[in-house]
Amino acid sequence: MTHIPRIGIGGPVGSGKSMLIERLVPMLAQKGYSVSIISNDVISKEDADRMRNNLATKRGLLPENLVIGLATGGCPHTAVREDPSMNLSVIEEMEAKHPDLDLIIIESGGDNITTTFSPILADYFIYIIDVAGGDKYPRKGGLGIESCDLLIINKIDLAPLVGADLEIMKRDALKIRKEKPFEFVNCKMDKGIMKVTEHIIHDVLFDAQPKSIIAQKV
Amino acid sequence: MLEVNVPIGNIFLDEGFDNLKDGNFERLKISRIELDKKILRRKTDRGTDIGLNLNSGIKLRNGDVLVNGKNPIVIEQLSEKVIRVRLKTSNNKKVMILLGHIIGNRHRPISIQGEEIIFPIQADSEKEVFEKLFHSIINYIELTVEERVFSPHSGADVHEH
Repeated sequence: MTHIPRIGIGGPVGSGKSMLIERLVPMLAQKGYSVSIISNDVISKEDADRMRNNLATKRGLLPENLVIGLATGGCPHTAVREDPSMNLSVIEEMEAKHPDLDLIIIESGGDNITTTFSPILADYFIYIIDVAGGDKYPRKGGLGIESCDLLIINKIDLAPLVGADLEIMKRDALKIRKEKPFEFVNCKMDKGIMKVTEHIIHDVLFDAQPKSIIAQKV
Repeated sequence: MLEVNVPIGNIFLDEGFDNLKDGNFERLKISRIELDKKILRRKTDRGTDIGLNLNSGIKLRNGDVLVNGKNPIVIEQLSEKVIRVRLKTSNNKKVMILLGHIIGNRHRPISIQGEEIIFPIQADSEKEVFEKLFHSIINYIELTVEERVFSPHSGADVHEH
């Protein structure tokens, strides 16, 4: 069966995981990439419903049935790390029914600084924090911040309002992550989202053209 | 970008890599956690752009040869901080069971070397944390922090948090 590359997005409650997806998908779709979304949460499917409404129903960027909400019934990180079987079964079905997909995005609902994705589930791990948590956040470390493939620091427009120094966050992120990348973004205004899109296309898709475009050429 | 789907072999485990014994090869330096990845794009220490897109069932190991021949490229696992626990007395089953219970409760992978147990930590400060956790058996063990390449025991390779 075709392995469709998978990105895991994790981070604390309110850091902007769903908003990041809502900004990434249009940019990927504009370039022709076909994306599906799985959103994990404890009980609610509100994030999945919102993304489906905003991205599929209103804008037609992907079919409605390719935005899937999973109520994990427990800490969402367990469903993306210790026992990802629920997510994997959904992905297997997607890979069988939609082999033309270029990418699957898996969101792990509100979580903590030790969030990680099982490498069995996600090929690439984005961890997102926001400046409202304080400029100490990057240097406090934790597996999420240290081990993710791409660290995103969101809501940079709020930095002056909450007394967060972006230079300190930049210095600490460079120190703790060494050569691994991080990006400042403001999801509300799309600032920095193109750079995140470029990371995904370069690091996960290896700069390959969308499958739909390749198919047209054959 | 040079795409690799399956390593050719391993310099530590397989024969036929005598040409690499002198250590003169490009290194793709990645962490233990990254060894579990199926898709990974990185540059070697000499700047070669490598895209790992591994076939189903393939897991990377330290010393895997990605390219051989004129410009060989080998996976080099990065060292990391670990705690080494030495048992001061042999065959104290209660100490051994409690030790395993406490480390397991922290979801750490372990490596067993003789009568020593090694497990990864993120910061030196965790030594103090584990000394407190081990308080009931602290007189029977000795803890040291060191930096080394850590390879978990295959039956105890969990994803820590």
